[in-house]
Amino acid sequence: MISDKAKQQIDTWVAKYPAGCQSSAVMEALKIVQAENDGSLTSESIQAVADYLEMPVISAYEVATFYENYNHKPVGKHVIRFCHNISCMLNGADDLISYLETKTGVKIGEVSEDGLVSVKKVECLGACVGAPMFQIGDRYYENLTQQKIDEILDGLK
Amino acid sequence: MVDIEIEIDGSVVHGHSGESIISIADREGIDIPRFCYHKKLSVAANCRMCLVDVEGNPKPQPACSTPASAGMRVHTNNEKAKASQKAVMEFLLINHPLDCPICDQGGECELQDVAMEYGSDVSKFNEGKRIVADKGIGALIQTDMTRCIHCTRCVRFGAEVAGIVEMGATGRGEELKIEPFLSEGIQSELSGNMIDVCPVGALTSKPFRYEVRSWQMNSVESVARHDLVGSNIFTQTHKGKVKRVVARDNESVNETWISDRDRFSYEGLTNENRALTPKIKVKGEWQEVSWEAALEAATSGIKKNSAEAFGALASKNATLEELYLLQKLTRGLGSENLDTRLDVANPSSTSALETTISLAELEAIDHALIVNSYLRLEQPMINHRIRKATLNGAKVSTVNSLTFDFNYRVANSVLSAPQNTLATLSGVLKALLEANSLALPDYLKDTKVDQAQIDIASTLSAAENAVVVLGEQVNSNPCADQVAKLVTQIAKASNSKTLNASATGNTLAAEKVSFKPNGGLNAAQMFTANLNTFVLLDVYPTYDCVDSTAAIEDLSRDDAFVVAINSFEDESVLGFADVILPLASFYETSGTHINIENVAQSYGASVKAAGDSKPGWKVLKVLADLLELPGFDYTDSPQVADDALSLSPNVATSEVDIIAMEVPNIATVWQYTPYASDVLTRHAQSLQQTQIGQISEAVVSAATAKILELSQGDCYKGVPVNINETVAEGCVFVHTNQARQR
Repeated sequence: MISDKAKQQIDTWVAKYPAGCQSSAVMEALKIVQAENDGSLTSESIQAVADYLEMPVISAYEVATFYENYNHKPVGKHVIRFCHNISCMLNGADDLISYLETKTGVKIGEVSEDGLVSVKKVECLGACVGAPMFQIGDRYYENLTQQKIDEILDGLK
Repeated sequence: MVDIEIEIDGSVVHGHSGESIISIADREGIDIPRFCYHKKLSVAANCRMCLVDVEGNPKPQPACSTPASAGMRVHTNNEKAKASQKAVMEFLLINHPLDCPICDQGGECELQDVAMEYGSDVSKFNEGKRIVADKGIGALIQTDMTRCIHCTRCVRFGAEVAGIVEMGATGRGEELKIEPFLSEGIQSELSGNMIDVCPVGALTSKPFRYEVRSWQMNSVESVARHDLVGSNIFTQTHKGKVKRVVARDNESVNETWISDRDRFSYEGLTNENRALTPKIKVKGEWQEVSWEAALEAATSGIKKNSAEAFGALASKNATLEELYLLQKLTRGLGSENLDTRLDVANPSSTSALETTISLAELEAIDHALIVNSYLRLEQPMINHRIRKATLNGAKVSTVNSLTFDFNYRVANSVLSAPQNTLATLSGVLKALLEANSLALPDYLKDTKVDQAQIDIASTLSAAENAVVVLGEQVNSNPCADQVAKLVTQIAKASNSKTLNASATGNTLAAEKVSFKPNGGLNAAQMFTANLNTFVLLDVYPTYDCVDSTAAIEDLSRDDAFVVAINSFEDESVLGFADVILPLASFYETSGTHINIENVAQSYGASVKAAGDSKPGWKVLKVLADLLELPGFDYTDSPQVADDALSLSPNVATSEVDIIAMEVPNIATVWQYTPYASDVLTRHAQSLQQTQIGQISEAVVSAATAKILELSQGDCYKGVPVNINETVAEGCVFVHTNQARQR
């Protein structure tokens, strides 16, 4: 279930914590396994992480459902994580989210037919200064407008 | 701990420094509302219901997580406290469905009670309430998670008490849910306690669902007699039927918990296989008759034959009174053929081992050596105490023939088939004696010691408060007495206490009244001695006897007259018995249970006996009167108990020599699942549907399977074979809920 490469990556995180506290690495482990699994987690992969870290599976599941970083349904190649908290909301995030939905034809939580993008509403990403904003991969896109969104979408491959 | 004085609502009360305000208030009888706080669980402080006003603090403080300090002045019901409590109550009711009229918790609901006192009649919340889909968590617990207020008591119970983390809080905010990972069903043997700790109707008893309103029932104090603890319970009855069993607090026995077996076995009482009317067999046909006619038939049958050819066998779960009267009757007739040890491979070598530790002391041990036991399922409440000790750092070692799923970490685990157990324990003993430079007895001269045995020995000698536990599986060992002797010697050499869990139920009552042959025949011998008369007290040979086929064949002989005093009927009993006297089952008779601490706990009948069945002590008293035996002038069961308890059993201390007996190269260990351990639980349907109830496998290693020519999926003695390497070489471990086959 978990590849040797992923296990090595997890082990580097496990090594950061005292012996016997390997479950502390659960967030990173889930992230690594999710990346390997095309961006989403399944019951089996959560079970595998829990087994690997010798922790109760429900505890791993609690973490996986608490944070927005983890996806429980298949996602597109690029996940657009749109902030909808107060600063972004005041600056028109809701309208832009509707625009994004119409433009891509992808509703919140869904994947485009070609599998390229999926859209997710997330809580504050700490970039209020550039609201409204979203995140794709490791990159933040700030001060969004309809025009800017068009350009970003065109650039996605 | 320092004694401090604090003031709650104007009155001065005492507590320990660091103790929470709520625990002091509880002791003083001052009411503080709460949901998430539970005296036996860790403090979560997440419901905020227990907010109180502490002078000097600008904001109200949760009483459960605020430690008391000297001179603190607390107000639980001034304006500030009340306003906070009322506000929290309003929040908690935002998503609660208020479906009290159809909720099984209605009438005994903490949310209802607290809302009554602290709630408002109007809510400011006009939005839609959320609804939570139920995953379903098995046959015992009904979930209605829309009612959940997220106190996390059940989550903490699983993590802290049951030791199996199954329920969790998933999602966040509005999406937060209490649920298990998958809906396979809860696995814990203590899961029913989640029903008791749940303050609302989110977790309720599934077999009890929609049966009756809680306030219509009578609660009767009783004692569960499935195991060696005798957990204190309330049987809750309605119209003469037991509707539910809940825990009754008794700190020294079961604290506030009971096992699922104690909680749900009552379902068996209304099973269709109950024996309800007296019957006699006439020319091979059963006829329902009056009690007088059945007793007359039993009496004349017994009188016909000589005392030497009379044998009495009784269930380990019988009451003290029943066991006392049956042994008195048997001895009154002049026979010494009586026994309860039907499941013991070699009754002439039973494990004589004294229990020298109390339940409370178990919590303070620093090492436990568990021999031949799956303690978690065999004796859940004893295992729970040991688990508590492990949470404080105690280590556990095991010598078993299968690797069991304990709910704590096992430090040293030695796999040992029954035929090797003597050698393994001898190795441990030798390592212990050598480490302490003590003289070796002759039988250890040639013993070889390996590293695993040294590890166990060194953990034992390093421990200051160790206990050695001997479990049920020793009964499959023909050298049980020698195993017990080695356990005694190991305990002596390491200055440890001992706990004998090798026979369960009310075994200590059988010991008390010497319900075993003193010069007569034991359980195994009785079936080969061509006896003419048998009296069986709640005995079901298909499950209870080691060699059930031989036992049934012997009981079925034409010249064997069998009186079955039984609470249930099965085909084999109908086949071999000549008279059936229907017996009142658990909770239908008064009685006494003697627990592992030798405490006799008496209880009254909770309900009237089903059908025409009668309490065992009455049946046996009348039978003795009809047999014209003296000394049976009892008018109630406490008189019988008084006589029984005044006996001092003759503890025969026979010297046991360690000489390995001939054991087959491949031994069978037969262990019943906890829900097949006695006749009542076997007939409790919901327990049978649980994961534990469904266990049925004959575990064998690949090498041993090859010798026995078994492959995965075959049957061994009627039980599906499971080949893996968690089992000792040279044995088949049968863990099952099925009747015994050859």
